[in-house]
Amino acid sequence: MSKQPPLASDPQVAIWDIHQPVGRRSMLLAAAASLIGLAIAGYGLFTAQGTRTAAVPAEDAALVNNVPILRADLIAQITALYSVPLAQTTLAQRQKVLEDMIREELYVQRGIEMGLSNDDIDVRQALVQATEGQIAQDAMTSKPAEDELATWYGSHMEKYASEGLVTLHEWLVPRGSDGQQAVAALRKGAAPASLGLKTTGRVDDGEEFYFAAEQHLGEPLFAIARKMEDGTVSAPIPMPDGLHILQMIRNKRPVTTPYAQARDQVLADFLADKVARLQAGNQRFLKKRADIKIASDLK
Amino acid sequence: MAVRLKTRSAVWAAVVLAIAGTTAGLSWWRASAQADVLRADPDAILRDPRLRSVALTNGKRVFDKHCAACHGPDGRGDITLGASDLTDSDTLYGTGSVAQIEEIARYGIRAGNKHGWNLAVMPAYASKVPDAAEALPPQSPAQIEDLTQYLLSFTGRTTDVSAMKRGITAYTKAGCWDCHGRDLGGDPAIGAPNLTDAVWLYGGRPEDIRRTLQRGRAGKSPAFARVLTAAELRNVAVYTASLAHPGQETK
Ligand code: HEC
Ligand code: HEC
Repeated sequence: MSKQPPLASDPQVAIWDIHQPVGRRSMLLAAAASLIGLAIAGYGLFTAQGTRTAAVPAEDAALVNNVPILRADLIAQITALYSVPLAQTTLAQRQKVLEDMIREELYVQRGIEMGLSNDDIDVRQALVQATEGQIAQDAMTSKPAEDELATWYGSHMEKYASEGLVTLHEWLVPRGSDGQQAVAALRKGAAPASLGLKTTGRVDDGEEFYFAAEQHLGEPLFAIARKMEDGTVSAPIPMPDGLHILQMIRNKRPVTTPYAQARDQVLADFLADKVARLQAGNQRFLKKRADIKIASDLK
Repeated sequence: MAVRLKTRSAVWAAVVLAIAGTTAGLSWWRASAQADVLRADPDAILRDPRLRSVALTNGKRVFDKHCAACHGPDGRGDITLGASDLTDSDTLYGTGSVAQIEEIARYGIRAGNKHGWNLAVMPAYASKVPDAAEALPPQSPAQIEDLTQYLLSFTGRTTDVSAMKRGITAYTKAGCWDCHGRDLGGDPAIGAPNLTDAVWLYGGRPEDIRRTLQRGRAGKSPAFARVLTAAELRNVAVYTASLAHPGQETK
C-alpha cells in the first residue's frame, strides 16, 4: 500500500480526476464495460437472424429438432383446410393442423436420415426440380433496370414481331393442262374457274396467321408464299398430286411490336435468359467443386 | 477546479446514460412490438394501433425497395408488366387478406417456387400450340376479332355487333370458360381475371386485348422467401393490404 502513489485527500474528487490513478475507478470502469459487453452479446444472441434458442422465435409455430415450422405456412394450411379466416378457427383445429405438420417434418427428417433423398425416384426428381427452381426464384427477385430491358429488346426485336397474316388461294392445275398458261391467264385477271382450276381447300378460311398457313400449306409451299407480294401469282409448283399455283391476295408481314407493348414479354424473356445462364454456371460450379471419379472404360 | 470537473463529468455521464437508456428502451419496445406483429393473426394487425404502426412503418420501407419497381411507388400497378394494382379491392388471387398477400410476397406467382401460385397462364391463341398444359384450338385472326368484340361488350364498347355474337360461340369453342368461367367472372383459385369489369391487368384497349389473346400472358411476382426476413415479409404484407383498405388505416 505504502508504495502506491499518494491518493488525493478527498476520494470523491480523486475518482473523477483522470490525472490520478484510482483502483476503485478502474474496477468500476471494468465492471461497466463488461456489463455493456454482456448486454450487447445477449441482445445479439437472442435477436440475430437464424438464431435458434430454447424459445420458439416469434415467426415460428414450432421447432422440430430446431427446424422451424413457419406460422405463415401453418395459417395457410389451416385456412385451406377449414375454408374460413384464421380468426374463425378454434385452438383445437389449429393444433390439429400443427400436429400434422410436425408429423410431416418428422418423417422428412427421418427420410433424410435413412438416405431416401438418394434412393427414392420421386424424391430425387423433386430435389432436382427444387434446386433448379431455387436458382430461378433467386434470379427473379431483383427487377432488371429499364436500360437493361431496352437493350435486350433492341437485340431481340424479331422475337417481339407480330404474327404475320396472309390471305391467299391455292389452285390445283388439272392433269394434262399447261401450268404456265394458267399462271399467265391468272396474272391477267382471268377467273380461276374459267381455267379449270380447283381450290385445294387448304387455305379457304380467309385471313390466316403465318403459323396456321404454314401448317395448312406445308413448309415448302409456305416458304414461297411468305415472300409473295399482294396480288401476285406464283409459278406452277410441282407437288406429288400435280401442279399447284399460289395466288396471294394480301400478305401482311410481321411488324415489330413497340417496346411499351412488349415489355411484359421482354421482362419474362430477359429473366428466362438470366436463369438459363445461372443454371449453367451453377452446374459448372458443382462439377468443379465435386470429386467425380469415372471408370477408366467410360472416360 | 476539482469540483467543476466533477459536475461536468456527472452531467456528461447522465447524458450518455440517458441516450443509451432511451436507445435500449426503444429497440426493446420495437423488438417486442415486432415479435407481436409476427405472433398476431395477420389479418388483425391493421385493427391494432400499436402493431399497425410498427408494421406500416417498416413495411413501407420494404415495399419501396422491393415492390415499387413493378407495382409502382403508390401501388397502382403497371399495365405494361401486368403488375396488379394493389390499391383496389379487385384481387386476382384469393381475397386480398394479409395472410394471402404475405404468401405471395414469400413464395411468389409463377416464380419457380412450388409453394407459390403457378396453376395457369393465359394461352397464346395465335400460335400452333396455344397452351403447353391443355389442348386448346388456335384461333384465326377473325375469331380473335370476334372474341375481342365480345369482351368489349361488357364495358359497352362493342363496335361490331355480329362479330360480338360470333364471339360468344368462340368463347366456348376456344375453351376460355375453363379458366375464366362460363360467366367470365374469373377464378381466384388460379389467377384468371374477371373479364366483365373495367379492371384490366394488361390494359383494356382493343389492341391490348388482341395482343393478350394472340400472344398470351404470364405475369410473375417474385418469391422473396430467401431475400426478406419473416418480419419484413409480414410488414410488407400488412402495408400492401393497407393500400387497398385506406379506411382501416385512418380509423
Ligand atoms: C418483377 C416485378 C414484380 C415485383 C418486384 C413484385 N411484383 Fe407483385 N406482381 C407482379 C406481377 C406481374 C403480378 C401479377 C401476377 C399475375 O398476373 O398473375 C403481381 C401480383 C402481385 C399480387 C397479387 C395481386 C392480386 O391482384 O391478387 C400481390 C399481392 C403482389 N404482387 C405483391 C407483391 C409484393 C408485396 C411485392 C414486394 C415484396 C411484389 N409483389 C413485388 C410483379 C411484381
Ligand atoms: C388455361 C387457362 C386460360 C384459358 C383457357 C384462357 N385464359 Fe385468359 N387468362 C388466363 C390467366 C391465368 C390470365 C392472367 C394472366 C396473368 O396474370 O398474367 C388470363 C388473362 C386474360 C386476359 C387479360 C385480362 C386483363 O385484365 O388484362 C384476357 C383478355 C383473357 N385472359 C381472355 C381470354 C379469352 C378470350 C380466352 C379464350 C379465347 C382465354 N382468356 C382463355 C387463363 C386462361
